[in-house]
Amino acid sequence: MSKTTGAIKFVFWFAVSIGLFYYSWWSYSSGQMVSWYYYEAKTDGYAVHSAYFKNATKENPAMLQIGKFDKIEGLQAVEVKKGDRLPKNTDGIIDKKVIKDEKRAKLEGGMLKVMVASEVKDARGFKYKDTFKHKGILTNPWAGAWNVVMVLIIGLALGLMAEGFTDIMGLKLDKIVHH
Amino acid sequence: MFEFIIAGVESPWLLLVLTGATVGMVGGFIGVGGGYMVTPALIVFGFPGYMASGIDMTHIAGKSVVATVRHRQLGNIDWVLGLAMVGGTMLGVEQGVRLLTWTKNMGLSGIILLTTSVVVMIGLFVYTQLETQAATRQTKKMEKEGIAVGREVNTSKLPAFFQRISLYPIVRCRTARIVMSMWVIVVVGAITGVLSGFLGVGGGFIRVPALVYIVGASTHIAVGTDLLEIVVSGGYGALRHSMMGNVDFVAVLFMIVGAMFGAQFGSIATSYVRGPAIRYILSYSLILATVGAFLRLAYMLTGSKYAVLSFFAVVFTLGEMFFLCFFIMSLVFFALRYQKGKSVPEWIPSLVVKH
Repeated sequence: MSKTTGAIKFVFWFAVSIGLFYYSWWSYSSGQMVSWYYYEAKTDGYAVHSAYFKNATKENPAMLQIGKFDKIEGLQAVEVKKGDRLPKNTDGIIDKKVIKDEKRAKLEGGMLKVMVASEVKDARGFKYKDTFKHKGILTNPWAGAWNVVMVLIIGLALGLMAEGFTDIMGLKLDKIVHH
Repeated sequence: MFEFIIAGVESPWLLLVLTGATVGMVGGFIGVGGGYMVTPALIVFGFPGYMASGIDMTHIAGKSVVATVRHRQLGNIDWVLGLAMVGGTMLGVEQGVRLLTWTKNMGLSGIILLTTSVVVMIGLFVYTQLETQAATRQTKKMEKEGIAVGREVNTSKLPAFFQRISLYPIVRCRTARIVMSMWVIVVVGAITGVLSGFLGVGGGFIRVPALVYIVGASTHIAVGTDLLEIVVSGGYGALRHSMMGNVDFVAVLFMIVGAMFGAQFGSIATSYVRGPAIRYILSYSLILATVGAFLRLAYMLTGSKYAVLSFFAVVFTLGEMFFLCFFIMSLVFFALRYQKGKSVPEWIPSLVVKH
């Protein structure tokens, strides 16, 4: 392949790659991707943003204001039922069963009192930290398909861009004679 | 450091790019996804286990496309062989996942998983080493006798046996120059699929030796064809993980940027070497990963008392990536010297080609 054809190939696929990366980045930073990820409730409970109370303890609990907020900002919680769309900025759900147990969180005077933000669990030889983050949420299944389509197209664009680049550089890559 | 909003962690983005590059290089060269190396690395970088697995699988799908495009250019892909195998692989992966769930319900999955992976990897390592050493000896002997040596030297008798099975329909794989029963290819795909589904890996490290030693493809074609298959199986795995919310897409993007460079180098590097060189690197990758898995198994069997075992498991896994990259780069370096007629170590001529 000539260097000119290689250059055209490189420029075209470079532009496509940049476009795909830009779109992915915009989707991520604008919150679109995040809203696809934290899409709907898998369980009945309270939608929260767990980073705001990650240091809560029994001695120093976090008090979350319960209300109907479109976006969770600070120590707020929104009651949700299974299948409900989640408010913006949600990153987990405190399950009603957890609240019923009253060990890690409980309702107190119209507020949600979080006493332990995480707990260490044993699981056959492993110990892991279980927090409210990522709990009780469902991802939009179409977002899964979007991820795969994007990653395959990006891979193809990068592969063809690199092929154009080696053509420009004059690197002779002929088919290998196997036999 | 970069804050990954979906994963909810802060992680060094440069290390993700570097990991993508190193695993891309190894994967492009030996035709594996590299999940057994990347997932532990991502956990070390602070990602939760399920996210590490999902990010890894999604990046593997993208990276394999990059490497497949290059291997297509080099003529290393047999499309008929790859597509015939995909069906069996998908079926096998599903059965492997069910087997995993069954052992998990028995409360044994962790130990059975690690034991199986250690046994499979050691078995493959020993066979690949012995066969490749025999192939290298044969190459040296042929060169001494003045006989022209092709790019591929394979001393295994297994492919001839499996190619004699004449169960209808018979497929003709033109690029690989193989004529064999489609059922053999499907069954090989299914068995390697069960193992990959059960062990939770892409399965390249099992499929590449299977393509060489059972189907009888040349190592280069096995690598390229396996990467094509990883695009399909990795894409399916990425879809499952993404739908379950195990993927932070930006982490995948960082890794793909690195993988683009690594996979290019690894794929192009295959054109400088003979088949046995690729099989050597594959076998070393297997044994190093085995040591990592064995240390993790020992850590679990000792009731997680000795943190040093877990620490060294991680060190081995990360060290393996750099060691293999160094090995591949050395081979290309010496191949270039050899082509220019400069002095090279004694073991190089039997592993590289003189264009």
